[in-house]
Amino acid sequence: MEFKEVVGRRRSIRYFQSWRKVEREKIQIMLEAARLASCAVNATFLKAIVVIRDNIPRETLDALKTPVSALTIELAPVHIYTYVDMAAYKGAQARLKKLVDVGALNATHGWSHKFVDEFVWPNILKPLADNPNLASVAASAASDAGIAICQAMLAGVDEGLGVCLTAFQHDAINKLVKAPKEWIPLFVLLVGYPAESWEAGGQRPRPPLEEIFFEGEYGKPFKADPKVTEQMKAAKMIQAPAPLPWRKEEIKALARMFGLPE
Amino acid sequence: MASIDKPLEEYDSVKIWYQGLREQSGVEPTEDKSRLELLAEFCATLELDPDAIVAACLLRKEGKETKISIKGRRSMAERITDFQAKGGAEGREQAKRGNTIRSFLIHNGILLQSGIQI
Ligand SMILES: Cc1cc2nc3c(=O)[nH]c(=O)nc-3n(C[C@H](O)[C@H](O)[C@H](O)COP(=O)(O)O)c2cc1C
Repeated sequence: MEFKEVVGRRRSIRYFQSWRKVEREKIQIMLEAARLASCAVNATFLKAIVVIRDNIPRETLDALKTPVSALTIELAPVHIYTYVDMAAYKGAQARLKKLVDVGALNATHGWSHKFVDEFVWPNILKPLADNPNLASVAASAASDAGIAICQAMLAGVDEGLGVCLTAFQHDAINKLVKAPKEWIPLFVLLVGYPAESWEAGGQRPRPPLEEIFFEGEYGKPFKADPKVTEQMKAAKMIQAPAPLPWRKEEIKALARMFGLPE
Repeated sequence: MASIDKPLEEYDSVKIWYQGLREQSGVEPTEDKSRLELLAEFCATLELDPDAIVAACLLRKEGKETKISIKGRRSMAERITDFQAKGGAEGREQAKRGNTIRSFLIHNGILLQSGIQI
């Protein structure tokens, strides 16, 4: 699928074919997409544990559910539990030097081994590594992980899968997956084949571009060029907005199929 | 005991339910009579009117925002499970009993999840 269409087709899928296994290679492709994502100081903050739902004991599965994610957790055959690994800072010094060695960071931009050892590490990175609880540190680690998760999601969509990033009860899964203490739990990426149509009712409402993005300074909207908007529609990046006319009928049918309240 | 002293459709919580079914779920609530019959049966079991059933799931404290009561909700979920089990022998029929009451409470803002019942 073309990239723009993948972006356009992605939406949170909340009804999965709960009975249908996901091919392991598709999960590998998603993880690879996450691994290749841009990451701060080339340290992979995102860590993840793939769990097949049917291998989760019933009691644990029930304990994982939150008020905003219970049914989706139950329906999705594959769960990817995501974490931020704060220990990732520790290897940052060596990783940056490796970027120098491979010619990604160059003297043209002020980079050298000495610059990493004597400036970047002691002045910038070590203070961050020593203060993982600072809001700014947590925010940058979470941004890093978010980008990687997003690439995994898009790769999943490209493979014809449905994905939904969802909250989970952190303590409940840990007995099973035994994540290290310094990993901060984020969300669970639920994966499976959609039981709803891939359109899932249409592209979700978002504020217009002009309302959230600015040009030059805050308050001066970034004005969308209608011609470009049309191009994105043609490339299926911008798609028919929700609700599609038959969405309520689809939900009724899904409720009946799964035995859910209307 | 909050006894039922008017037609069920006249209770605020039933009006909210019907509105939710029409607007959110695209379902015409009056088409299937069993909906209201099941709610009436549930009310009789609990000896509460519909509004009182919703209220039993909420915590109201003077001067504070109304919150969902964890205890109230949990005990209501158990009552619904019992109510569901008392239905016909067919799994689907039983699920319909429970889900009708869950739908009533969900549209009234009370979180209740039963999971898949197939
Ligand atoms: C970090 C994050 C956490 C989310 N958590 C939940 C969740 O707990 N439950 C849920 O149903 N959806 C969750 N979502 C999905 C959003 O609600 C969803 O993105 C939103 O409905 C917009 O629709 P779309 O993803 O279909 O475009 C989450 C999304 C993100 C990015």
